[in-house]
Amino acid sequence: MGFQRARGALMRLVSVSIICMGFAQAAPAGMIGTAYLLDDESRAASLSRIELVLARQDVGRQLEALGVEKAMIMERLGGLSNAELLELEGQLDSQVAGGDILALIGAVFVVLLILELVGVTNIFKSF
Amino acid sequence: MPALLVMAAGCAPIPSSVSELPATVGSIELDDTPFYPQERYQCGPAALTTVLVQSGATVSLDEIVDKVYLPGRQGSLQFELLAAVRTEGRLPYQVDGTLDAIWRELEAGRPVLVLQNLGVAAIPSWHYAVVIGIDARRGEIVLRSGTDKRRVTRIRTFLHTWRRGDYWGIVVLEPGELPAAADRARYFESVAALEEAGRIEGAAAAWQAGLDNWPGDNVALFGLANSRFAMRDYQAAERAYRDLLEQRPGLLAARNNLALTLAEQGNHDAALKEIGRALSENPAPALERELRDTEATIRRRMTSGEQ
Repeated sequence: MGFQRARGALMRLVSVSIICMGFAQAAPAGMIGTAYLLDDESRAASLSRIELVLARQDVGRQLEALGVEKAMIMERLGGLSNAELLELEGQLDSQVAGGDILALIGAVFVVLLILELVGVTNIFKSF
Repeated sequence: MPALLVMAAGCAPIPSSVSELPATVGSIELDDTPFYPQERYQCGPAALTTVLVQSGATVSLDEIVDKVYLPGRQGSLQFELLAAVRTEGRLPYQVDGTLDAIWRELEAGRPVLVLQNLGVAAIPSWHYAVVIGIDARRGEIVLRSGTDKRRVTRIRTFLHTWRRGDYWGIVVLEPGELPAAADRARYFESVAALEEAGRIEGAAAAWQAGLDNWPGDNVALFGLANSRFAMRDYQAAERAYRDLLEQRPGLLAARNNLALTLAEQGNHDAALKEIGRALSENPAPALERELRDTEATIRRRMTSGEQ
């Protein structure tokens, strides 16, 4: 049991360091990125490196919990900007996920029916 | 109450700033745009592969599924679509939320990936599709959508579904290409994001294009200098930082990076002088921390005898 737990902790540590390594490559130490000259939000983001590392870990964990294969997580995180990482931190669930056109017909039909029943007939003009 | 429902269903009129096209406009269709019929829940990967391949990238639908499909959400996030464009070495740019912006991109040969809400606010049905054509005379828009290679929709209907997707639409640019109607700030933010994603050569080409379009622009010049630094072309980086600092001597972030550039060339004394000068100009607290860190880094290198 103890061994299992220790192994789990080690694996987590390793995956966190791998994620941090990916980050370090993208931003050379001490360099201030161009985003600093853009708006205030990016400016803050571009300077708080510790926050970024934490955000990266958090978003990585969320992706994993949502079924993304471990091998792909680093690559997927690698394409995100700092501001995007900070926005996704702890918020992944509130983001729109564009998915299916196929489930649509039922939902729209129900809505149209309700709207018709309450007398909002002009809905049909727009569909 | 009915009025509220109408609003919720998105049936308020679309503003003319969104729907208007120049009177001279006829019809256009990019019929050579590839088509990837979507699997269940996978309109995101399908639409994204479509615009990536059209931009000249060599990717397969399967690769893109691995990069953007989120099994637990049965869909794809907008941020992840942007990220995947960057990891393919391309630059994603969000177009203005107007029909005219779509038209102009189509004219430039670029299909537009859009987020639609095909349901209503209360029962959303989020969907990604690719606009490949507009027929202004017939009032129709043509999309690669789901399993339809050529879905023809009334422009008005499309605009309602697009409004419910917050008029979100992107084009995929080859770095160095500018969007048909480039918004300076938005373009630079896109390039800065590409830089942060570590696609340095792409970012360099995109900053150069920005500098060509907005001559002397400080952000573009800073970006170009930063990408030269990241590409280890320290001489070119130094020249660019000095150009920039000549225009704006108070730009302490550029002075910080100039110091690092000098240190990389073994010129530690000059590097420390730049940092000293920046620190004497009352930097904001966060920037001061950066400058002190840089100073410490340079001193460490000096004592360790490293270049």
